[in-house]
Amino acid sequence: MNRLEAYDVILSPAITEKSTMVSEHNQVVFNVRRTATKPEIKSAVEQLFNVKVKAVNTLNRKGKIKRFKGILGKRSDVKKAIVTLEDGQSIDVTTGL
Amino acid sequence: MEITETTSDGLKRELKVKIAASELNERLSKRLDELKTQVNLKGFRPGKVPVDHLRKVYGRSVMAEILEQTISESTQKAIADRKERPAFDPDISVTENSEEIEKVIAGDSDLDYTISFEVLPEIKLTDLTKLKLEKPVVEVTDEEVDNSLKRIHEDAVSYKKKDGKADDGDQVTIDYEGKIDGKAFDGGKAEDAPVVLGQGNFIPGFEEGLKGVKAGDKKTIDCTFPKDYLAKELAGKKAKFDVAVKQVAEPELAKLDDEFAKKLGYDTLAGLRDAVEARVKEEYESVSKARVKRELLDSLDKAHKFEVPATLVEREFESVWQQVNDELEKAGRTFEDEDTTEAKARKEYEELAERRVRLGLVLSEIGEKAEVKITDEEVNQALMERVQQFPGQEREVFEFYQKNPQAVAELRVPIFENKVVDHILEQASVNDKKVSVDELLKAGEEDEAA
Repeated sequence: MNRLEAYDVILSPAITEKSTMVSEHNQVVFNVRRTATKPEIKSAVEQLFNVKVKAVNTLNRKGKIKRFKGILGKRSDVKKAIVTLEDGQSIDVTTGL
Repeated sequence: MEITETTSDGLKRELKVKIAASELNERLSKRLDELKTQVNLKGFRPGKVPVDHLRKVYGRSVMAEILEQTISESTQKAIADRKERPAFDPDISVTENSEEIEKVIAGDSDLDYTISFEVLPEIKLTDLTKLKLEKPVVEVTDEEVDNSLKRIHEDAVSYKKKDGKADDGDQVTIDYEGKIDGKAFDGGKAEDAPVVLGQGNFIPGFEEGLKGVKAGDKKTIDCTFPKDYLAKELAGKKAKFDVAVKQVAEPELAKLDDEFAKKLGYDTLAGLRDAVEARVKEEYESVSKARVKRELLDSLDKAHKFEVPATLVEREFESVWQQVNDELEKAGRTFEDEDTTEAKARKEYEELAERRVRLGLVLSEIGEKAEVKITDEEVNQALMERVQQFPGQEREVFEFYQKNPQAVAELRVPIFENKVVDHILEQASVNDKKVSVDELLKAGEEDEAA
């Protein structure tokens, strides 16, 4: 996987209360492409941030169905990846790339 | 905070202030802590944002805010610690180098800046009770009162229809139409126009031409518009006026009696006379008061020699100079027309500016010592007077002052000055000196310059 493809896999860091909580366990949370697989995410993160990844957990958050004036709408689904780094590795997600 | 004095020359002061980065950072954290409960960031419930994250998002803008605050605070403190009174808001200069500022904002380097200002000089007031002033006083003579009464009387002349020829002083009612080269022109036509002969209110030759006419006469008057006539297209042109005389009336002076006084709103002639006398007296009183004030200011100026903050003088001069130049430009004149050169006039006004600043300082000092206060009532009164100067726009003017406290503050200045002057006059010994009317008025004209 080259660098450009890696950017397509990792969309953005997720900066939330929960993500700051898990950062204490050397884990980082990203929003990733819906079709991305765990190995893809692993290599993308390793390439972009120059770190060693220990494990990747993913989850699909389904978009809520919202009604506006009786018409149904759907928020887009999001795939998140919780990336566990090897000990001694770190990513400062807030500074950006 | 470290303060070092770099210059202390006369009234000028320059201070160098250094504020340590650690002090700034401390302030920043405190401020961020306060912010923490207020900000609403996506992904976090209110109040749950970690400070680190907050610092990354808002750090720069908060730091800039803190710098501003710190600078103004420390400036005030630095000056207050020195127990000096600055003459105006101090000049603060932070480094222009953006890289350095960037470092300060990031909290990496200390904040350095310089304050430059001028202090108000120590004013040693002279003993006011030792001031000796002369107040020119004019005795109002009966003759003078009679004269002004006569003037009022003559102004109130009425005209009575008469048969026969019009003479000087008579009022002639006419229709007229003026023509230049056989063509009527704008403003050259009127009906039932009253013309008083011999007053020279019309173009030369017109009134003379009317002399000797009778009611019902028709006449053509040839006359020439003067070269400096206001309407340019008419100036210097020859015109023919066709005139139809409708009525000739002679002036009739009303009898100077109680009846006449009643017409003017007084009960008796004596009452009218008293009112006239009071008015004349008041006029002279105000002139002589202005003279005393002028004399007082002169002696104060002489009695107080101290160094005046140059910047204040400069500012005063700028405003005066601006005004002078504007006026000259409006009048379309140059300094040469006024028998002076620009450099000369400049010097003159510089002196005037210094005098004004000096006197302003002295007066405010005296006022402060004597605890002269201005009541709201007095301000309101001045405001009302001011409003009345703009008939028809009272409401707008009034609203302007309501919205601009600054403008109201400007109103206070002359009130304060007058009160202080009154206060000084109470203390100083003022001798009345009798002078003639001419002397008083002549001196009064000179006062205009002050």
